[in-house]
Amino acid sequence: MEAAEFIQYVIAGLKSGSIYALVALGFSVVYASTGIINFAQGEFFMLGGVLSVWFYSLGLPLPVAGIAAVVATAGLGIVFERFALRRQRSANPLVLVIITIGGSMVMKSLARHLFGPDELSLPEFTPGPSIDIVGAAVERQALWVWGLTVVAVLALWWLYRKTRLGHAMRACSISHDAARLMGVDTARVVMISFGIAAALGALGGFAVTPLTQTSWDAGAVIGVKGFAAAILGGLGNPLAAVIGGLVLGLLESLSVAFISSAYKDAISLLVLLIVLFVRPQGLFGSKRREKV
Amino acid sequence: MRGTRVLSAVASMLLALVCVSASGCAVADPSARADGVEPYRIGAVLSLTGTYAGLGVPEKNAIELEVSRINKAGGIAGRPVEVIYEDDASDAAKSQAASVRLIDKEEVLAIIGASGTGQTIAMRTDAERAGVSIVSMAGGSVLTDDFSQWVFQTPWPNRIVIPFVLEKMAAAGYSTVGLISDTGGYGVDGRDYVLSHADDAGVTVVADETFNSGDTDMSSQLTKVRAADPDALLIWAAGKEGAIIARNARQLNMPQPLYGGSGIAREEFIEGAGEAAEGVRLGTGKILIPDSFGVGTESYEVATSFIARYEAAYGVEPDIFAGHAYDAIGLIADALGRIEGEVTPGALRDALEETNAWVGIDGIFTYSTSDHNGLTTDEMVLYVIEDGTWRVDQ
Repeated sequence: MEAAEFIQYVIAGLKSGSIYALVALGFSVVYASTGIINFAQGEFFMLGGVLSVWFYSLGLPLPVAGIAAVVATAGLGIVFERFALRRQRSANPLVLVIITIGGSMVMKSLARHLFGPDELSLPEFTPGPSIDIVGAAVERQALWVWGLTVVAVLALWWLYRKTRLGHAMRACSISHDAARLMGVDTARVVMISFGIAAALGALGGFAVTPLTQTSWDAGAVIGVKGFAAAILGGLGNPLAAVIGGLVLGLLESLSVAFISSAYKDAISLLVLLIVLFVRPQGLFGSKRREKV
Repeated sequence: MRGTRVLSAVASMLLALVCVSASGCAVADPSARADGVEPYRIGAVLSLTGTYAGLGVPEKNAIELEVSRINKAGGIAGRPVEVIYEDDASDAAKSQAASVRLIDKEEVLAIIGASGTGQTIAMRTDAERAGVSIVSMAGGSVLTDDFSQWVFQTPWPNRIVIPFVLEKMAAAGYSTVGLISDTGGYGVDGRDYVLSHADDAGVTVVADETFNSGDTDMSSQLTKVRAADPDALLIWAAGKEGAIIARNARQLNMPQPLYGGSGIAREEFIEGAGEAAEGVRLGTGKILIPDSFGVGTESYEVATSFIARYEAAYGVEPDIFAGHAYDAIGLIADALGRIEGEVTPGALRDALEETNAWVGIDGIFTYSTSDHNGLTTDEMVLYVIEDGTWRVDQ
C-alpha cells in the first residue's frame, strides 16, 4: 500500500473519529457528574443538525444558525435534566438510565413529526476543493470538524482546571455527598453537565451535517458508536473520551483497508464488547473508582 | 373506604371500555355504509420513514391520487377501492408484521409493496401461506427470479437495468469498473448481477466494496476502490447514501465517471450531492423525460396525463417511484375489472396473470403464469445529470 493511500485511510478515520469524540465527550461529562449513562446523547447530536437546518431555512446566516442550534439543544438538555431526571435523582441509577432512553425516543419522534422523514442538508462552511496533505485529499469541512473538536476539548479543559464550576464538577465526580458538605450545589452541577453534554453533541451534529446530511434518525447509530468510544477511552475523563473516539474511527477505517468493508460497522460493537470483557475501565480509566 | 375506592376504579374502567368500543363502532368505513356497497380492500406496505422514505412518500401520493380518480369515476364495476396503508420504516421485520396485519386482520385482496427488495422478500412467506398477491415496487431481480406464484413486480428489475448500464459503460470505452453497493436486498441483488454479467457486457470488476444503510461516510471504501484504479465507478444503492458516495468521490478527487441505476434516479440524490451530481449517468425508465416514450403514443399520453395530475395535486413532478406505484394500483384495478364471478385474492391473482399489453408508466405490461414482471430493456434510457437535472445521454 502506498503512503498516500494509507494516509487517506488515516484521514478518513480521524474524520469520523472526531465526531465520535464529540459525542463521547458528552457521555463522559454526564457520567462524571452523575454516574449514569445518558442514552439521549445521540439525540442531542441529531438535534444539533436538524435544528441548525431549520434555523438556516428561516434565513439566519450559517454560523448564527449553528450557534442557535447548539444553544437551543443545550437548553433542551437542561430542561430534560430539570424536569425528567431531577425528581428521581435519589432513585436507582437504572431508573435514571431508562428515563434517558425514554427521553431519546420522545426527541426522535418529535423530530420526525416536526422536520419530516427525509434527509436534510446544509452547505459547507467554506466551500471549495479538498486540500492536499502529503498526497491525501482532506475536505475543508473535515478541517472544521477537527478545529471545533479541539476548541471544545480546550474549553472543557479550561472549565475543569481553571473555574470554580469545573472544580465543583470534579468534586461531584468523586463524591456527591462530600461535595455537598463542602458547599457545592450538586443539583446545579448536574443540570449544567447535561447542558454541556447537549451542547457538545449538538456541535458535532451541526459540524458534520454538511458532510453527511442529517435526519430524525441520525442519532441512533452515532449514539452507539460514541458510547463505544467513551467506554474505549474510559468514562469520566474528557481527554480519554476524545482519544477513544479517534482510535475507534481509525480502527473502522483501517478495517476497511485491511480486512473488508463489510465489517466496518461491526467494528465499533466488537470493540465495545472486547473492552467490557477485558478492561472495563477503558484505556485510560483506573480500576479503583466505584460509582453508586 | 377501601370498598368504594375499588368500586370507583372498576366503574371508571368499565366506562372507559364502553367508550372505546363505542368509538370503535363509530369509525366505520364511510364509503361502505353510505352506499351499502362493499369496497375492494387493498393493502399497501410502504417505507414512509427510514432510509427509503424518499421512495415510499411519492408511492403513497401516487396511489392516493389514482384511487381517488378511480372512485370519483364510479369505482370498478360500481364498487369503490379502499387502500389501507402501513409504514414499514424501511425495516424488513416491520414489513412482515404489517403484511400479517393486512392479510389476517384487514383481509385485503392484495398487497401493494414493499418499497424495498428486502422488505418485499420478508412478506413473501405470509403471502404464500394465505394466497394473497403482492405487487412489489422494488427493483431486486430476486423477486421474480426466485419465482413465486404470488409475487408480482412493477419496476424494471436489476436483471434488466444492470446489463443495460454495463453495456453503456463498455460502449463508452470503460473496461474496468469499481463497484460500491449497499448490503440491503436491492444492493446485494445488484452486486450479484453485476459480478455475474460483467463478462457478457465486456467489462471487468476490479473493486467490489460495500456499505450499510445508515452509514454516513464511505471515504474508506472509496479509497480502496481508488487504489484499484478503475476506468469508471458503478454505484448500486437506493437510499440516501448514494448522494454521500458521490460527494465522497468528488472530495477524494477521484477522476472516474459515476454510473448508477434507478436507485439514484431521485431528486434527493441531486440535492444531496450538489456539485458532485454533475456528469453522473444512470439507467432507468422513460418517465424522467416523457418525450422518450415517443410523442403521441399511448404511453406518452398516459405518462403526461399522470404527470399533470400529480403535479396539480402535489406541486412537484412525479418521480420513478410514483410511476411504480401508479402501475401497481393500475394493474390491480385493471385485473379487478376483468374478474367475472366472486372477487377473491385467488381470482385477483389469476386476473393479474392475464394482464396483456396494459400501458403503464414503467412500460407496457404483459404478465403470464411464468412472467410476473412483464418488462424488457426496451423500457430503459441512459440519462446524464447536467445543471441539476436529467438529460437523455446521447
